[in-house]
Amino acid sequence: MAFTTKMKIKQVDGGHDVLCLVNHPMETGLRKDSKTGELIPQHFIEIMTFQLNGTTVAEAILGQGVSKNPLIGVRFTNAKSGDTVSVSWSDNQGNTGSAEATVQ
Amino acid sequence: MRRLVISAVAASLSFGMLFNANAGNVEEDIAAFQGYFQKRFPDVELTAYEDGVNSLPQYSHRRANWEILMDFPPYEPEMDIAHEEWAKPFANGKTFADCFADNPPASQYPYYDAETDDIRTAEADINACLEANGEAPIENLKNGKIARLVSAFKEQFNGQTMAVDVSSEGAQAWYEQGKKFYWTKRGQLNFSCADCHVHNAGNAIRGDILSAGLGHTTGFPVYRTKWAVAGKPWGTVHRRYDGCNKQVRAKPFKPQSAEYKALEFYEAVMNTGIPIKSPSQRQ
Amino acid sequence: MQRRLFLRKTLSASALLLAGGAGALKSLVAHALEWPAALFDLENEPDVVKGLFGDTEITESSDVVIKAPLQAENGAVVPIKVSTSLPGTTMIAIVVEKNPVPYISSINLGESAGGFYSARIKMGETSNVTAFVSAGDKVYKASQEIKVTVGGCGG
Repeated sequence: MAFTTKMKIKQVDGGHDVLCLVNHPMETGLRKDSKTGELIPQHFIEIMTFQLNGTTVAEAILGQGVSKNPLIGVRFTNAKSGDTVSVSWSDNQGNTGSAEATVQ
Repeated sequence: MRRLVISAVAASLSFGMLFNANAGNVEEDIAAFQGYFQKRFPDVELTAYEDGVNSLPQYSHRRANWEILMDFPPYEPEMDIAHEEWAKPFANGKTFADCFADNPPASQYPYYDAETDDIRTAEADINACLEANGEAPIENLKNGKIARLVSAFKEQFNGQTMAVDVSSEGAQAWYEQGKKFYWTKRGQLNFSCADCHVHNAGNAIRGDILSAGLGHTTGFPVYRTKWAVAGKPWGTVHRRYDGCNKQVRAKPFKPQSAEYKALEFYEAVMNTGIPIKSPSQRQ
Repeated sequence: MQRRLFLRKTLSASALLLAGGAGALKSLVAHALEWPAALFDLENEPDVVKGLFGDTEITESSDVVIKAPLQAENGAVVPIKVSTSLPGTTMIAIVVEKNPVPYISSINLGESAGGFYSARIKMGETSNVTAFVSAGDKVYKASQEIKVTVGGCGG
């Protein structure tokens, strides 16, 4: 199962907004499969880490209350042109994903 | 194909005779239609209608949904796929760009083709391109790949204002068909398109707000949250017509049917002067 | 000597866990952040607040700004942005009062992170949504009601 992780960096007043969009089902465990009638097991991102040049800047805790195909955004105050911004995440079923971009 | 052409010609002839008096009045129709909305929503600029219901004052308490989602449009990962699909060469080495180099710009779609007396939509031309190059046409004309390809085509023209050509008699006959459809009541609920999207634009329909008919097709294909939650996020214009007809308890027509092509043509003409903004994020 | 040190370390760790204070979620640069399962088991907002902040006083602040629609288009995808210019902001948490699991998400903010958090969340029904901000050793909050309706004309 591929979980596309996309990142967008936007320059704003006071720094850079770093937005991360992941194609992830974020299943609550409360939904039933329409065909089998079985409950679809919980499957959601738990931790998402944002780094600037390899140093952790922010760590997000997610759960079943976050939307499918989640968007998580943070603001970096110290990023400069040429810096590397990266995001990585892990879910409750052992899957991981990441993305990296250079600040313009 | 030949049968369709014949019936289309027959239809256009009969409608042409019924509505001959209106044949030259397309410009008056546009002025009346657009003028109505400008009077009903005096603070909404003509160009703002590209944003659909988000442009209406009655939607202000919901507008932030769309504004914040547009920080990172939910359709972007799909558009990455769309760009790949649009650029990928066929087995014979040609691409969609090669076909569409000979077609009008998106601002003139859908267009009247005199040779076949037919309305050509972007969906139809994509399939024509596939077939002309030995590839299988796309069967699903409501969502998925066809919508991605139409978006990849149209977004190249974002910002350009709609300018569909209705100068020929054949085009005007199709226009009149579409106009008649728009203003005709149908279904068990006995609503016309105009009942909701002209007379009740901005009003509530159960838990939703009705969009203005003005600008309707400029944003299509749409990427809808409601459809995304159900797993089929994309919608072509004809998918939406299908849904709307079902909701007034009318039997829908097929995507790319003559009825829906005529309707799309009429709506595109009413959108003259409004910029294309495709794809669009909607509820 | 070693036994006493061991006991002291164990006690402070459990004190952190019991208090469930912001310290338990604090960014641990040296170790991986542990997902706080206990917080996601809580069924009402007061318990979540206690789990997050213990008995720390929480002050309403106009410097915690929520940008969110007054009415959601779809309860499954409600976009929320929280901003604050309170100095020393170290954590922002989002709680939805009427959700079966009110604790939605939180973010631990290091020095190079600004007071900002954007997320798309699920809401089961019309509810107050509260953003909590840990700044310095204080906790601030702001709330906004977001209406969730079902049923319309969507095609």
